[in-house]
Amino acid sequence: MLDYSIGKVATVFTRVSILIIALSIFCGTILTSLLAPEEAQAIPAFARKYNTNCMDCHTAPPMLNAFGQRFLENGYQLPGTEDGGSTGKKKLGDLNLDDVNQYLGFRLVGNAVSSWGFNKQNPVGADAGVVENKAEFTFPNSFVLFAGGTVAENVGFMVELGHDVKEGGAEVERGFVTFNNIGSHNLAHLRVGKFDPNTFSSYATVRQQLGDVGESQKGGCTAPTPCAFNRVGLTPSAFATKFYGLYDRSGNGLSPFAASLYNSGHETGADVHGRPFGDWFLYQVGVVNGANEHLGDSNKGKDVYGMIRFDYAQSNFFSASMSGFVYQGNSNAKVRTSDDVNWNRYGLSARATYMMVDVYAAYSVDKINKTPTGVAGLFDSTATGLTIGADTYVTSQTLVSLRYDNLDAGGMLDQRKSASFIGVQAKHFLRANVAIFARSDFNLRQSEGGDTAARNLRNAFFSGIDVIF
Amino acid sequence: MRIRILLAIGAGFAMLSIASLANAVKPEDNQATREKGKQIYDRACLLCHGANGKGDGPAGWFIGRYESPRPRDFTGGSYKFRSTPSGELPMDQDLFRTVTQGIPGKMPPYGGLSEEERWQVIAYIKTLSQAFKGAKPTALVLPNPPGPPSDAGIENGRKTYIKYGCQNCHGDNGYGDGKEALDGNLKDTYGLMISPGDLTERASLKNGSSAQALYRSIMTGLDGTPMPSYADTIGGNDKDVWDLVYYILSLSQERQ
Repeated sequence: MLDYSIGKVATVFTRVSILIIALSIFCGTILTSLLAPEEAQAIPAFARKYNTNCMDCHTAPPMLNAFGQRFLENGYQLPGTEDGGSTGKKKLGDLNLDDVNQYLGFRLVGNAVSSWGFNKQNPVGADAGVVENKAEFTFPNSFVLFAGGTVAENVGFMVELGHDVKEGGAEVERGFVTFNNIGSHNLAHLRVGKFDPNTFSSYATVRQQLGDVGESQKGGCTAPTPCAFNRVGLTPSAFATKFYGLYDRSGNGLSPFAASLYNSGHETGADVHGRPFGDWFLYQVGVVNGANEHLGDSNKGKDVYGMIRFDYAQSNFFSASMSGFVYQGNSNAKVRTSDDVNWNRYGLSARATYMMVDVYAAYSVDKINKTPTGVAGLFDSTATGLTIGADTYVTSQTLVSLRYDNLDAGGMLDQRKSASFIGVQAKHFLRANVAIFARSDFNLRQSEGGDTAARNLRNAFFSGIDVIF
Repeated sequence: MRIRILLAIGAGFAMLSIASLANAVKPEDNQATREKGKQIYDRACLLCHGANGKGDGPAGWFIGRYESPRPRDFTGGSYKFRSTPSGELPMDQDLFRTVTQGIPGKMPPYGGLSEEERWQVIAYIKTLSQAFKGAKPTALVLPNPPGPPSDAGIENGRKTYIKYGCQNCHGDNGYGDGKEALDGNLKDTYGLMISPGDLTERASLKNGSSAQALYRSIMTGLDGTPMPSYADTIGGNDKDVWDLVYYILSLSQERQ
C-alpha cells in the first residue's frame, strides 16, 4: 500500500515535471525563434570551404539529401568533379586560419533534460532493481571534433574525435582516408580506416534525427551471467545486436540494443564503392575486423560485406532508393561459452524524399551460425529488427520526426525480451546548424515485469540541443 | 646531363602550358559539345536543377525550403546574373562566371570542372530553353571603375542610395533590414519570400562584390527578384553610379 502510494505520488510528480519541462521548452522555443535571425546560413566546415549552405547537402542535418550523398561518395568532392583541395597544395607556411576552418568542424549534441519512467505500469516490486526512474537536468554530453575534406585531387580524409562526458576520455570514433575515382570517374572509391560501413545505404547508421540516448546496464555482463538493462539506448532496432546472451571475443556482453556489425557506426577495415553503370546503381564491398574490435583484433578471420543500392533521383523534388546488404561474420562473437560463432546480418533499407517529407525504413535479419551444442534448445539463433521513420518540416524551421521500432529478439530464451517502441520529436532549427529539440519515446508492448528495460520503459522524455560549427 | 634534365623539365612545362591553353579555348557549340555537356550536367547539376532543368532536382527543394532562392529553372529563360539589360538572356560569359564562382551561400563553385567542361555544360544548359535559339544577347558596356573613391564621392553615394530608395529594401545601414523586407513584401517570381542582400557582408552579395560586379548588378538588376535595373534612371549619370558603388563598398569595409 505504502509502495503504491509512493509510486502514485512519484507518477503524478513525474507527469507534472514533464509538463513543466515541456511547457518551458515550448515557451523557450517560441521566444528564441522570435529573437533568432530568420536567415538560416549555416557554416560548418564543408559549407565554409565551398561558401555555400548546409541545405545544399542535407534534408535536415545530419540527414543527407541526394546531393550530399553524392558529395560523400565522391570523397568530399563536389559531385561530378575531382577538384581536390586547393588548400592542400599550399605550402605549410602559407596556410592561415581561414584555410584551417575549412577543414575543422565541431558538434555538440545531447539532452539538457532527461526524464525516464520505467515501472509506473508494472506490478509493485517488479522493478525493484531498476534505478533509472527519474527526471534530471543534464548537460549536452557528447562533443565531436571533426576534420575532413580533400588534401589533393581524389584524396580525402575524415577524422571524428568524440568525447563523452559520462564515460570520460576521448576516442577516434571514425578516422579514414579515401582514394577516389580510381580507374575512371565513379568507378571505384577506396576507404581505409575506421568508418561506418552502412554510410552509403538508403538508411545510414550514423545519421539519425532521433539519436541514441545512451544505455545503462545493471550488474556485470560476464558470461554466463545475463546482462540486466536499466535503460535501452533507443538505437534503431534494425541496426541493433538483437541477441541476448551474446558476447564479443573478449568476453564483454553485447547489448541487444546497441548498433553492431554493418551498422556499428565504426568498424576498422577497408571498402570499395562506386557507380560504374551510371547514377542509378551503387555497389559496395568491404572487409572489416568485425564485432567492434579495433586494429590488431583477435579475430583472424575477417568479416566481409557487400551492398547494392538502386537510386531514382531525377526531378519533381523527389528521390528514392532501395538497398540490400549481406554481412558475413567470421568467428566474430561468442555465446555464453568460449566457442566462437559466426554472426551474420542480411538487410534491406529504403528511402523516399518528396519536398519536405522524408520517409525511410530498414529491416534486418541476424543469424548465428555454428551455435554451440551446449546451448542447443536454449538459444534462438535468429532475430529481426524493423525501423520505420519519417521526418517532415511543418514550418520553415521546425522538423517533426516519428520513428517506429520493432525488435524480435533472439538469443538465450530465458533472457530475451522483444520490444516495440515509438518515438516522436520536434526539432526547431534556430539556424541551419543550431537546433533545439524535444522528444518522447513510448513502449508499445505490454510490460511483463522484471528487469526488462525493453518493455518497462513507459515514457522517456528528452529535450536538448544540437549545434554544429 | 643536368642541362638535359632541365631542358626535359622545361619542355614538359611548355607542353603542359600549351595543353592548358588549349583547354581554355571555348569549344564550338555543336551536337558533340552539347552531348558531352549533358553528361556533365547529369553528374554535377541534375541533383539540384532537375533532369529537365526546371530547378526541381531531388535536392533542390531543401536549398530554398520555404524561402528563395530555389535552383534556377533553366527552361524559363530568365536569369538573375547577367551583364545584359533587364529581361534579356545572359551572355555565355555570364553563365560561365556563375558556374565557376558559384553563388555565395547557395551554389558551390564548380571551378573543379575543367574550363572546357564548364563551356560544354553551358552549351547544354542553353538547349533547355527555347529562348536561346537564335538569340544574340548584347552586354551592357561596363566601364572600368574610376580612381580611388573620395569622401565627397562616398557622401554623394549615400545621398544617391537614399534618393533611389535602396534603403526601402536594404535598410538604412545596408543590413538588408529595410521596411519592405521586414514587412515581408519581397517575393520572387515563384512567390517565395526573398531577403535583400546584406550590403555590409560582401560574402552575401550573390552577383559578386567587386566594384564592377556591383555596378553590373545596379545596371542590370536581378531578373525574377524585386531588385530592379536602374539603367533607365541613374544610368545616365555614371558618376552617381560609381559613387553609389563605393558607398555600398564602404558599408562593408569595417567587416573585411
